[in-house]
Amino acid sequence: MPPSGIRFFDVRRVRAVATHVDIDNGVVESAGSSFSDASLVRVLGPLGWGMVSVNNLDPESKGELDRVLAEGLALARITEDKVDLAEPPRGERKVPVPGEDPRSLSLEEKTGVLAKIEKAAKVPGIASTRATYIERAEEVFYTDSSGYEAGSAVTRCGFSVIAVAKRNGDAQMGRESHHTIHGFNLRHQEPMGVKAGETALALLDAGAAKGGKMRAVLDPELAGVFAHEAVGHASEGDLVKEGSSVLAGRIGEQIGPAILTIVDDPGLPEFGFEPVDAEGCLTARTEMVSRGRVNAYLHTRETLAALGNGMAGHGRAEAGEPPHVRMSNTFIEEGDASVGEIFAECRDGILLVGSRGGQVDPGRGVFQFNAEYGYLIEKGEQGRMVRDVSLSGEILSTLHGILLCGNKREMHQGFCGKGGQSVPVSDGSPHILLSDAVVGGSGTD
Amino acid sequence: MELIDQILAAGGRSAQEVEVYLVEGTGVSAELKRGMVATATGSREWGLSIRTIDHGRIGASATSSPDRWEECLQAAVASMALSTTQEWRGLPEPAEIRRSAPSFDERVVPDPSVAQGFLKGMLEGARKHPEAKITSGSGSLGRSEVTIANSHGIRYTAARTEVGCSLETICGQSTGSEFAHSAFLEIDPAWVGERAAFFAVHSAEGRPMETGPCDILLSPVALAQFLGNILVPALSGRTVHAGRSRLAPLLGQKCFDGRIDLLDDPFARGLGATAWDAEGVPAARLDFVKAGVLSSFAYDLKAAYRYGAKPTGSAVRGGFSGSPAIGVHELVLDGPREAIASDRALYVHDVVGAHTANPVSGDFSVECQNPIWVEGGGFQEPVRKAMLSGNFFDALREIGGIAAGSRIVGNAILPCIRLNNMQVIG
Repeated sequence: MPPSGIRFFDVRRVRAVATHVDIDNGVVESAGSSFSDASLVRVLGPLGWGMVSVNNLDPESKGELDRVLAEGLALARITEDKVDLAEPPRGERKVPVPGEDPRSLSLEEKTGVLAKIEKAAKVPGIASTRATYIERAEEVFYTDSSGYEAGSAVTRCGFSVIAVAKRNGDAQMGRESHHTIHGFNLRHQEPMGVKAGETALALLDAGAAKGGKMRAVLDPELAGVFAHEAVGHASEGDLVKEGSSVLAGRIGEQIGPAILTIVDDPGLPEFGFEPVDAEGCLTARTEMVSRGRVNAYLHTRETLAALGNGMAGHGRAEAGEPPHVRMSNTFIEEGDASVGEIFAECRDGILLVGSRGGQVDPGRGVFQFNAEYGYLIEKGEQGRMVRDVSLSGEILSTLHGILLCGNKREMHQGFCGKGGQSVPVSDGSPHILLSDAVVGGSGTD
Repeated sequence: MELIDQILAAGGRSAQEVEVYLVEGTGVSAELKRGMVATATGSREWGLSIRTIDHGRIGASATSSPDRWEECLQAAVASMALSTTQEWRGLPEPAEIRRSAPSFDERVVPDPSVAQGFLKGMLEGARKHPEAKITSGSGSLGRSEVTIANSHGIRYTAARTEVGCSLETICGQSTGSEFAHSAFLEIDPAWVGERAAFFAVHSAEGRPMETGPCDILLSPVALAQFLGNILVPALSGRTVHAGRSRLAPLLGQKCFDGRIDLLDDPFARGLGATAWDAEGVPAARLDFVKAGVLSSFAYDLKAAYRYGAKPTGSAVRGGFSGSPAIGVHELVLDGPREAIASDRALYVHDVVGAHTANPVSGDFSVECQNPIWVEGGGFQEPVRKAMLSGNFFDALREIGGIAAGSRIVGNAILPCIRLNNMQVIG
């Protein structure tokens, strides 16, 4: 039984070792590890939440936990909005066994392998290169006032490499990265370094794109970011509950073509994988958009109780921070079009490749993101390369503009920020064709 | 403090120099959801960062556990062995710190009822535009103490406080947001609430605009996004010497409009005020741009020693866990102030997607938040949707002027500026 006045409490303790290597123009700038131990204790008082974030909490020390619970209850007493919690789906997914456990390798070895990728980026004509490796091994322990306990350990690692090419005062950058939960992934990746270098050089000869409304083909990486920004955030139950989402009140509504299905699945063994969510719930696949219709929202226990339409298990949090409704592995399901058919149908437009990230205002329903680069499409054929191209639009009108979905999906990894917290995610899609896309670029012809 | 002595003594057995950076803090925040207080959070932070340096090799580690300091020290020493040897002339010696920086207000106490008061104040302000619905908001107060010590005898401690509040609103499908932050108990929650509600309501009547060039008024918030994502990285000595800054060959040249001064003023009354930087080097005013002329780049000790430059006291840390890196304490954009909203221009309250700009070339394409036509010194008709594209370095070559007044936006103190002839897609 929780102490008097407390309807529910839970404790999430995360102990982590973070390792990084940073190599800049052949110089090992830094390489090392740091250790952290952070907990968040949530107390549901008579109305809302009181939460306490502390380092080095021992949840098994009753005296220590009781003090923190009392502190949480005192905080909860200023709340005004009654929070209810839906029943939690219990269980944990098995963490995939890593191929080569990065924790078993010495820092020297990681540094040496990363240095090869960085060196490979220095193709003739490249002025500057940099490669970074990050690794985070997390052990999570969860318990709540019902006595339920869950625990898991996941190690994520990955690298990024950038190359900068310069000519006559112009500077352009190529970037490649790969992150995973499946073990050390840096071996034999020199070709990604070379690709970063070659992209930077090619961009020196690329022109600026002329902005405007046009047909656009999004490659799988950018289309994945599109799914994440345009639909994923607006499907988050906390934003829907607050009234900050254009998808609020639209369950069952057709917002896109019947070929469009958009999914978030934290149980998928990709970079956003969670064996159990930040509220100790079993994670599961949610179809946010199913055959063009708004099908479900992403939920924590609180937002599910308030809104219905979906499943809990989408709560994610940084160590010591409150869980928010978050995406994990978000993707557009495959359609039936080949890339050739998509180009032919586009006829004249632009191909947008890769992603420099994006952002959305889900309440206004407006999103923006930047491609790494693009190519003009002329008479169904890939034409000249263009740089600094972006895509923005209104979620609802843009989804209706999806004309074709390709038949081969790829996933790409990244980090997503919300409420001051960053969590690892993956996004994916096949190629998609958009009509009337608002493409940004500073070119004039 | 006994812990610091222990670490310095133990570290001295493995390295020529040792540095300890210790942060302790407490804070409270309260969150609004749909106009009601939904959550209150308290936090206690403790963090330790150790650097060890031996014959030009630098190692670092960090921990949030006081009883793991020995492991942390060992990790720093191990990481030292891996780093590339570089030219190194030592951690700073103790210096007389003559000025105190305005970073602490004893009135700031992490009391949840004060955070609750910020929320009530914002709600009261928002009531001036009742068509706006409150979606979310927060109020927070924090106190911390930061200590830096090294094996040369430096031991500086500074107390810091921070208060802040923010509100998000919606009117139909039009959103508005505003915030205020300060080291002092000087924020005006009612103003934050009124502005957040105003922007949502005013922009709800937005009409489409024609695609084409027009002048832009960048609010301090929008300006901070461009400066932080494009210009500040290009002013880092490390970026410059690594060949990733477009400004690298332009030192001493007129790169920007002659009315622009851009400087780091660590003694300004903002959020990053400090008398010493994250390596214990005395902080001082650093003029990046004087009357449009590129005058200095920023250096921490590592970059300064490596590239033969003078350290500028520009080391900053993003919390205890990061090694020091080159940054700014309080970025100030200044210059002659004038009326810049007389002739027609598009005001941009904030932008979506500034982090996707190309930091090397300066090219950007962003979606405008609350774009509104201004003319005759005031807001006119709102615009529904506007995408702004261009090159930020080029846009600052000849600006339309700098408005009176400045505000704190993160670690910057900025005015509203007018950009000429920018490309906008309606």
